[in-house]
Amino acid sequence: MKEILVLAEHVDNKLSPITFELLGAARSLADKLQARVACFLLGYNIKDQIQALFSAGADRVYIAEHPELKDYRTLPYNKIISDYISSLEIKPHIFLIGATTTGRDLAPRLACKFNSGLTADCTELDIGEFDYNSKTDIKRSGLYKDCLYAIRPSFGESLKARILGPWNNPQMATIRPGIMLPIKPIENKQGEIIEVPINLTKNDLEIEIIESFREINNEIDLSSAEIIIEGGYGLANAQGFDLLRELAGCFNNASLGATRKVIDEGWMPYKYQIGQTGKTVRPKLLIACGVSGAIQQRIGIQNAGCIVAINKDACAPIFRFAHYGIIGDLYHVIPELIKELKEF
Amino acid sequence: MSFLKNIFVLIKQVPDQGSKAGVNLDGTIDRAKARRMLNPFDRYALQAALDAKKNYGGQITAITMGPPLAIEILFEALEHGVDNTILLSDRSLAGSDTWATSYALKKTINYLGEFDLIFCGLQTTDGDTAQVGSQIAERLNIPQITYCEDFKIENEKIIARRVIEGGHQTLKAPLPCLITVANSYKALKYKTIHGAKLVQDIMREEEKKNKYIKILNINDIKANPDFLGIKGSPTIVSKTEKISEISGNCKILKGSKELSLELKEILK
Repeated sequence: MKEILVLAEHVDNKLSPITFELLGAARSLADKLQARVACFLLGYNIKDQIQALFSAGADRVYIAEHPELKDYRTLPYNKIISDYISSLEIKPHIFLIGATTTGRDLAPRLACKFNSGLTADCTELDIGEFDYNSKTDIKRSGLYKDCLYAIRPSFGESLKARILGPWNNPQMATIRPGIMLPIKPIENKQGEIIEVPINLTKNDLEIEIIESFREINNEIDLSSAEIIIEGGYGLANAQGFDLLRELAGCFNNASLGATRKVIDEGWMPYKYQIGQTGKTVRPKLLIACGVSGAIQQRIGIQNAGCIVAINKDACAPIFRFAHYGIIGDLYHVIPELIKELKEF
Repeated sequence: MSFLKNIFVLIKQVPDQGSKAGVNLDGTIDRAKARRMLNPFDRYALQAALDAKKNYGGQITAITMGPPLAIEILFEALEHGVDNTILLSDRSLAGSDTWATSYALKKTINYLGEFDLIFCGLQTTDGDTAQVGSQIAERLNIPQITYCEDFKIENEKIIARRVIEGGHQTLKAPLPCLITVANSYKALKYKTIHGAKLVQDIMREEEKKNKYIKILNINDIKANPDFLGIKGSPTIVSKTEKISEISGNCKILKGSKELSLELKEILK
C-alpha cells in the first residue's frame, strides 16, 4: 500500500495548525491513490497527541520520543527521520512538510538525503500522470503514473507552476501554511503506532537552543487571525501604524499586518509581513490601507472572507479583487471610520 | 579579535521583477532581455559577511553560479568590500533545480577549501524556494542556522537569533556553520571608496580582474555532469499557467459612514 507521510509540528507539545492542514491535504491525496496517511511525530512526552493525529486523518503514526527531541532542531530531527525512511524497503510515496520556519529548515536537507525532488511553498496539490518526453534526457523519459503535482506560484506570483519529481520516492513538497483545509475530526478513530529507533551521536546534538521566545498572549498569530488591519507603503511612514493600531482597537482581537515594502522600510517587524515572502492569511475581514494589491501581496490575502481597500489611487490593482473599496486619502478616511465605529 | 579565516557568501543574479523589460506575454521571463539585479535577499547575506569580517576578521569570498553576465554582481560585491569572487559558469548547469545547484555549489566550496562561515540569502526572488542553503549544509555535513537576523561569535561558536513563527529563537552552533540571513537583518550599507576604486581598476586591467574574479567551469570543480542541469535535477516544471485575475466586483463606497454600516453587517 502506498503511503503519504506528513511531518507533525508542535510548540510546547501542542500540535500546530499546519499539522492538521497537512493531514487534511494528505487525506485527499490518499483517497485518490487508495493510500494510507502516516504522520511522523518527534518530541518528548508527546504520546498524548497521537489520538489527535488519528482523528485528523492519520492511519499510522511514527513516533520518536527523546528528551533531546523536545523542541525542533535541524540535526537530530534530520537524522532520525532520514535514518528511518532510508531503512525502509518501500519508501513513502509522498512526504509533505509545512512551509514554516521549521519545515523550510528541515525539508531541503531530507530531500538531499533521499535524492528526492522538493517543491517549495506549494499552494495546491494533486495526483496525476506525467508523460515525459525529452530528447536530451532519454534515460528518464517515459510515462509516470500517480505523480504528485506540486503547484506553486512563481515569478512574483503571476504564474502558477506545476512541479513534478516522479523519479524518486518520497516525492516531497513543503506546503504554505493557512491554505490546506483540515478534515472534520473523527472521534475515536484508531490507527497504528510505530516506534522509531533513535540513534543520536554527539555531532547531531552540537546545536544548542539558548532561548525561544513566542508572543502568545498579547498578539494573535496572523495566520489564524479573524480580523486584520493591513498597512502598505501608502501609509508613507512608520507613524501611520499608530492610526492603524487605533483602528484595530475598534474591533475585538484585530491584528495588524503589513506589506513587504513596509517591512523593507523597517516600519514594522518581519513577523507582520503578509504576502509572497511573508504569511498567507485567511481572516473573516481584512482592511487593506494604502496597499496597492500587487500580485505578491494578493496571494497572501486573497483567501480573506472580505477585503476592504482604502487607497487614494483609483487604479490600484487592489480594487480589482477587494470586496469593498473607498477611494480616498487614508489619513482622512480612517480617522472618520474610527469615529463611526466608536459610535456603535 | 581576529580568528576567522575564510568567510564565503553565496549570491545570485536575478531578473528585476519590478521592471517590465523581458517579461513575456505569458508572464515568464526572458532572462536575456530582462533587467538584471543582485537578488535582494542576498544584500542581507552580504552585509552579514561584511559584519563578520569587521568583528572577527577573515577574508570574504563571494561565490555565484550563473551565465557570464552574472559577473556584474561580483563587481557589486567587490564594491561593497568583499576580498575575492568566484563565478561558476558552465552550459551544463543550465536548468539546474535546487538539488543540482546545491551539488554544484558544494563542489565549488570543496574546491576552495576550508571555511568558517557560509552566508546565504534566505531565498531568491526568481526561485523563491529557500532550499539551496540548507541543501549545501547537508551536502557539506555541517550545521545550519536559517532565518538568522542577528549573530555574534563567542568562544569559537556562533550565537545567532533566528526568526520563528510569532517570535525568535537563539541558537548556539559550532563552526563551520552555514547561515541563511533573514530580511530582518541590517540593510546593506553603501559601497566603499576602496571597493569602488578597485572595480574601476578591474575594468581597465585584465590582470587585476583575473586576480579578484576567478571563473570556474565544472571540470575545475570536478563535478559530475550527470548531476547537473535538467537531466540531473529531480524536479521538473511540467506546466505553467497565468494566475487569472479575480473578477472585479468591488463595491466602491462613498465614505466611512457607509463602510462602517457594511462592516457591521459583515461582522454580525
